[in-house]
Amino acid sequence: MGQSRGARRRGIDRRDFLKLSGAGLLSASVLSSCSRVTSGFTGAETVPEGTLIFSMGPDSSGVYAKVIDKFNKENSDGISVQYREMPTDSGQYFDKLRTDFQAGGGSIDIIGGDVIWPSQFGPNEWTLDLSDRFTEEMREDFLEPTITANTFDGAIYGVPWFTDVGMLFYRKDLLEEAGLDEPPKTWDELIEMAREVQEKTDTRYGFVFQGAEYEGGVVNGLEFVYNAGAEVFLPDDPTNVVLDEGGAAAEGLAVQRRLVEEGIAPEAVATYKELESQTAFIQGDAVFMRNWPFVYGTILGGEEAGSAIKPEQVAVAPLPTLEEGAESVSGQGGWNFFINATSEMPDECFKFIEFMIQPEIQKEFAIGASLLPPRASLYEDEKLLKEQPVVELAKDIVTLAKPRPQHPFYSDMSLIMADQFNEVVKGNAEPADAISTLQSELERLTNLGTEVYDL
Amino acid sequence: MGVATERLSARKEKRGRVGTAWGSLRQEFNDPEKRTAYWMILPTVLIVLLIAAWPILYAFYLSFQRILPNVTEWVWFNNYAVMFSDGVFYRALFNTGVFTIVSVFFEFTLGLAIAMALNKRFRGQGTARAIAIIPWAFPTVVSGAMWRLFYQDEVGIFASLASGLGYDGVILANDFSVLIGAIVSDVWKTTPFVALLLLAGLQTIPGDVYEAARVDGATKWQQFVRITLPLLKPAILVALLFRTLDAWRVYDLFWSMSDRQLDSLSTYVFEFVRVSQADFSIGNAAAVFVFVSSIAIAFVFVKVLGARQGEA
Amino acid sequence: MHDDNKQSLVGRVGFYLGIVLFLIFTLFPLYWVFRMSAVASDELFKSPSLGTMFTVPFDLTGKCDLFGLKFTCPISYETVLADELYKDGLLNSLIIASITTIVCLAVGSVAAYALARIDFVAQKPVLSTVLAISFFPAVAIISPLFIQFQSFGILNTYWAAIIPDIMFALPLTIYLLVAYFRQLPPDLEEAAKVDGASVWQAFFRVTVPLSAPGVVTTGILTFIFAWNEFLFANTFLLEPKVQPATVIIPQFASIYTTDYGAQAAAALLMTVPLVILVLLFQRRIVSGLTAGAVK
Repeated sequence: MGQSRGARRRGIDRRDFLKLSGAGLLSASVLSSCSRVTSGFTGAETVPEGTLIFSMGPDSSGVYAKVIDKFNKENSDGISVQYREMPTDSGQYFDKLRTDFQAGGGSIDIIGGDVIWPSQFGPNEWTLDLSDRFTEEMREDFLEPTITANTFDGAIYGVPWFTDVGMLFYRKDLLEEAGLDEPPKTWDELIEMAREVQEKTDTRYGFVFQGAEYEGGVVNGLEFVYNAGAEVFLPDDPTNVVLDEGGAAAEGLAVQRRLVEEGIAPEAVATYKELESQTAFIQGDAVFMRNWPFVYGTILGGEEAGSAIKPEQVAVAPLPTLEEGAESVSGQGGWNFFINATSEMPDECFKFIEFMIQPEIQKEFAIGASLLPPRASLYEDEKLLKEQPVVELAKDIVTLAKPRPQHPFYSDMSLIMADQFNEVVKGNAEPADAISTLQSELERLTNLGTEVYDL
Repeated sequence: MGVATERLSARKEKRGRVGTAWGSLRQEFNDPEKRTAYWMILPTVLIVLLIAAWPILYAFYLSFQRILPNVTEWVWFNNYAVMFSDGVFYRALFNTGVFTIVSVFFEFTLGLAIAMALNKRFRGQGTARAIAIIPWAFPTVVSGAMWRLFYQDEVGIFASLASGLGYDGVILANDFSVLIGAIVSDVWKTTPFVALLLLAGLQTIPGDVYEAARVDGATKWQQFVRITLPLLKPAILVALLFRTLDAWRVYDLFWSMSDRQLDSLSTYVFEFVRVSQADFSIGNAAAVFVFVSSIAIAFVFVKVLGARQGEA
Repeated sequence: MHDDNKQSLVGRVGFYLGIVLFLIFTLFPLYWVFRMSAVASDELFKSPSLGTMFTVPFDLTGKCDLFGLKFTCPISYETVLADELYKDGLLNSLIIASITTIVCLAVGSVAAYALARIDFVAQKPVLSTVLAISFFPAVAIISPLFIQFQSFGILNTYWAAIIPDIMFALPLTIYLLVAYFRQLPPDLEEAAKVDGASVWQAFFRVTVPLSAPGVVTTGILTFIFAWNEFLFANTFLLEPKVQPATVIIPQFASIYTTDYGAQAAAALLMTVPLVILVLLFQRRIVSGLTAGAVK
């Protein structure tokens, strides 16, 4: 009896302590973020009259906020735009949008979207066809690949915001040390050169790329396939999969595996995403690297950004091809503007887009956030080239960009391609088998797509 | 006289039994105390019906349909057929199966050993038990993220350990080694918990039984096999049942430890139900498969092996 | 006799060795994660040798800001504590877990009382069903629930995680409370009933005040369950503003890719409160978890 009373007393003591600290913590944190918490319960988003919602991933550079501010000041008598932060992960962001669209549209007016989304938005009529608003005259100044990526089945669903392209980075200084002066043009050349330089300069890795099972891995794998001269679809015909025609695709993928087997690329490349390959390169551990232009920005950032190498040591070149003399192709990235089909103010939305694609604004994004402009003319702008070396770097390669397969079921295709490409890199699947698996799976999806969307 | 009266009395008996059943139900609701009991369990029952029973029936219903943006049609078992011909499905099944069998085996054997050790009185017994419960408190995703750091090629302590022992591969780049890594991580996290479950069971075995056996000349091993195991059987079966079903449902661990590279049955369901657009229907079939297989496992344990949930 | 002593010495050494090994295996990962979070990044990339493994060269180049308190700390902690995403995640976890616990305790204690104290026909079936829910594979219903939640408009709100969490925490809550109520002596309740109290009155006036220890234990275990939940939060909460820490942490593998120190710090910070909670109440927790497993 006495013991239980004692135990109870102990319990209440602890309980009080718990209650107090719990209540304290809870109220402290809740008080500091009340409205956000309430909306977390109600899901309601309070949007003032005459405001457009613009969604995009995190604004790490702060430039989005600055530019939107500028727009709102210039339009103080009209509509204003509010930026809404979306998940960093593109797949998560897409999931949120798709969920909203399927539920009836959601509250976002202007969507900052990935380059692989137009073909998934358009056929479902989730975003507007902008062919009439985004006139041919306006499109003239834009790089062709950026327009192609936004076009599906004859309609243009997005307006390019910034572009991105895969390129071959290499250590100029290491090549010189090994007595080489030109970057490789074919994969065979790259393998030879990498081996030579690795040995002569005692560098850990010859070549690093992104081989993990994710969207970036799809881009890399497709670069190997495209640079072998193969295609997934015939141009403008997303109903016919031609991946396994001629065996070029398998040969291209085989290079990916060869790089690992022959010790040019580390085995760990099967887990590498952009940042892992960047780290290897800027630590000085790799001779060649396939990555996006942003890496140059990191190198420019010097030691503070974690770079052990200097900009003078680095140069870029187009990606190698399988056959000698073939035209190099680079994987295409970039983000675009879309207008939600259920937006109540589409004209105002387009006004905002027109503002955002002005050359001056694009320059701001280039200088402030290292985002490559989609306007061809800006690559001749001396001032911009000087102020943003990344643009100068990418000048000759942006025109070589090629979009990933454009199809309403791209999400599914991406899952399968990511899986198979990764299996090849890991050595679990033979390139030829991977290609035939992809051929049949992609065929299944295109047949489904043709049936559902009447392509 | 015999047969007719028998049949008559049998019928009367049956009517009587049904009558009693109906009567007792009426009695149930007449008794205010029992009525209150029904009210008291009502919210719980409602929650179970709305959030478990109804959705699983709906899941079955969905699994027989092909659902696409402009199409919804009844396809009977077609989704299951497609699922059973998917290579990725078998990979997920393989990973989940191996994970379940191996991790449960190690967790059980190690857990039993530790439970027996903790059963003895020794200095610091309380501290040992306190430490043992710590891994259990970790969210599985955090444990997975932590172990992923340990397996990382450059900085991982276990990666260094492995290469020190002569392993020259990259742990995270190889499906099989990632699976082993996941098993090790799960064993770390759950063995102490299994040990505590078994310890509770051990503590109900009175010491005199062992005394008597020792006096009779039984060896430790004989004591273990003839006394401990049989008396511990209920606790063992319950622990095994819970662990097996938990392992079969593995999701958090594979997601965070392998950065979504390793498939389990549950991640397979998620991928098709949430990420895929064309194959959403297959995800529903997979969901039902996970449900049915879990029931089957529970059935084997309860009916065949005789596991009984703890009830005083 | 002499042999026995020798044997027991060897046996005892082996026994203690086993216990120590077990404790090392259990605690080493925690120590190592702490070390990873507290040292500078170049230290992380050094090959661990037996000599250096157990030293922790603290990196003190960071400045942490915790609720307005500023102090020096390892750089990884500065990174993580300055991360809005992470802090919001912790707050969301707190909100979701707290509400789940409160509702579970309310609904579960009432049901547990009936199931423990009152003999009624549905008693056994309901108890078995509720316990069987713990075998239910949650992943099987994410599709139907997603569709339902979307049509009710609660997708991407806290409710979308709280509701399924309640469902799956209830078996644990009820199981623990039933065990607890069963070992409470029924005399006081009987006395109250003799005095004319109804079941509800007996429950609220007599049982509830006596239930503090059981409720605390059950509450903690339910809270930990909801705090650690991942599947539902990951499936139904689509934006960082509502996502709890369990959903945020795996994302760090992609955000802080090679900043392993920051990932370690994030993992540790999220778990330390739980570990402290568990250590404070370990005896209750252990007895709660194992209650009933005995039979």
